[in-house]
Amino acid sequence: MLSVKNLHARIGEKEILNGINLEVHAGEVHAIMGPNGSGKSTLASVLAGRSDYEVSEGSVEFFGKDLLDLSPEARAAEGLFLAFQYPVEIPGVSTTNFMKSAINEIRAYRGQDAMDAVQFLKLFKERMAYVNIDQSLLSRALNEGFSGGEKKRNEIFQMAVLEPKLAILDETDSGLDIDALRIVAEGVNKLKTPQNATILVTHYQRLLDYIIPDFVHVLYKGKIVKSGNKDLALELEERGYDWIISALD
Amino acid sequence: MLENSLVDSIKKSHSLTEAQQLALGKFINKGFPTSKWEEWKYASLKHLNEHNWHWAPESISVDFPKPVWNSFAIIQTLNGNTSSEGTLPHGIALLTMSEFMVQNPAFDSVWKARNPILDQNSLYDLNEALVADHAVLWVKKGVKIAEPFVHHYLVSGQQDTAIQSKLFVYLEEDSEITWFEQQRSESSHAILSNYVQEIWVSKNAHLTLIKDQDLQQSITHVDHTFIFQQESSLVDAFTFSINAAYLRNNLHFYIDGPQVVSNLNGLYIPGEDQLMDTHSVVDHRMPHSESNELYKGVLMGNATGVFNGKIFVRPDAQKTNAFQSCKNVLASDRATMNTKPQLEIWADDVKCSHGTTTGQLSDEALFYLRSRGISKATAQTLLLLAFVQQVIDKLDHEEIRAELSEKIVNKIQASLGLTLS
Repeated sequence: MLSVKNLHARIGEKEILNGINLEVHAGEVHAIMGPNGSGKSTLASVLAGRSDYEVSEGSVEFFGKDLLDLSPEARAAEGLFLAFQYPVEIPGVSTTNFMKSAINEIRAYRGQDAMDAVQFLKLFKERMAYVNIDQSLLSRALNEGFSGGEKKRNEIFQMAVLEPKLAILDETDSGLDIDALRIVAEGVNKLKTPQNATILVTHYQRLLDYIIPDFVHVLYKGKIVKSGNKDLALELEERGYDWIISALD
Repeated sequence: MLENSLVDSIKKSHSLTEAQQLALGKFINKGFPTSKWEEWKYASLKHLNEHNWHWAPESISVDFPKPVWNSFAIIQTLNGNTSSEGTLPHGIALLTMSEFMVQNPAFDSVWKARNPILDQNSLYDLNEALVADHAVLWVKKGVKIAEPFVHHYLVSGQQDTAIQSKLFVYLEEDSEITWFEQQRSESSHAILSNYVQEIWVSKNAHLTLIKDQDLQQSITHVDHTFIFQQESSLVDAFTFSINAAYLRNNLHFYIDGPQVVSNLNGLYIPGEDQLMDTHSVVDHRMPHSESNELYKGVLMGNATGVFNGKIFVRPDAQKTNAFQSCKNVLASDRATMNTKPQLEIWADDVKCSHGTTTGQLSDEALFYLRSRGISKATAQTLLLLAFVQQVIDKLDHEEIRAELSEKIVNKIQASLGLTLS
């Protein structure tokens, strides 16, 4: 579904991604790990279409389409989802209204009829249960005054509602206590099907106790320097990143 | 100094009383405001000197669609002529200023001593010069009317018509009304609409004033609203500036007694080729009073916005609380906003604060919405509507709130060039 080839990206003069190669197929869970500043969040942002980054080389295909040529909204409509590391607070816009707009714009993009109020209600109610989120939270201004855990659960709620083909979770575990982490992870696991895929961007191994990855990649200086299965994550937990880095430098 | 040809044309069109001639003299001396005048720096009307004005607008009559919730008379000011259509409720009278003064002889000296700030306001002089005997809406003592009064203000005419309108609203003690003013035009020609509204709010009276300014792209509209508040009175004012080529609001509050509350709320949303200028004055002349200003602006296309908020706290006005906030969003890189808060405080035991901001929509917020599948234009609209909602939500009257809300949504969408599904 996703084919990243020799991807280079930079902010201004600063090269952050230095030739990423990554193949993701339906049904797979990939974990992208690496020390701070290795380019993990940049990779997530570039895939979702954040305009701060300039892609200087390489290509990304998503179901055969040139992903880099699409606007962020078109990427979402094609089935890509980014759970933000820092979900944005938006005063005056409630999660439910925002999700209604999003769903109907995506449906219009796909040539589907708009959903009505009854269908929305049913869908929201069902997906709220996935992450144990309350209606009152969804009626409030988006993320405004939400706790760290509430923000992350709201991200997974949005993911549950939009049912992406590829979900990228950017440091979704950061700032979560163990209960919140479990709820979020359970939500992600419930959404897993043989047709969709997940990329987990994370610094720590602990999220991978709850969401078991098929592949683990270590990102360093904008490149994937090592790939393996879930055992690699455990080894990283035990030994840190230094043994990989020192082998390179 | 005004052009001679214009002076001649005014004198030809009107036979003026002595007082009017005096006012005309002031206007002629000053002429139309230019950008050299500090108070009109961004909103020059110098080009009005070039027009060949018709000073006597034709009489018009219109069938105005009444709001569905409206059950009694509409007050209308059509090209400067004020009348009522239907029956006014008990305790409310519409009469002329001279009739009003005959019935309230003691008020004459109070009125003459009201002393508004008319610095650089030559258009007030022009209005005074050309309006002979204006209308008064008189709300008698203790009369409380829950249903809003609809005031239909309309200008219409041929090319280069100058229209002067004036209205005085007098609220006696313990009275309470809501004034919903719909300012409209029916002309695609260049028209100068110069409107003075003065309002006297007596002890314990409560006024809600809502101005819905939606005029055509050919109209230059100047609104002078001067409100004089007496002891323990409350005024909630709302100004929604939606459309006009040029829209200037001189909104003045004179706090002439203790325990007064003045709330000023405003929203201006100029689009392509529009200029909207708010000059507010809150003059705390007496102690123990409170004023709150909340202004928001969304500037689209190549619009120009101006906000100048003056707060005076006179030496006698101890224990004053005065707050002012003005927030603006530039929704286009061609739009400009000029803000200037101006506080002059002579009393020492006061609480005053002000804050103005002008910025753009947050890129981070836009990206967040877009990453969920919402188009850039819809995301901008959602964020702008959320931004203006705070002012709209302060309106208590549900139907008026819904009507204005729809109008504002439509204007913002039209200016951004899209329709929401």
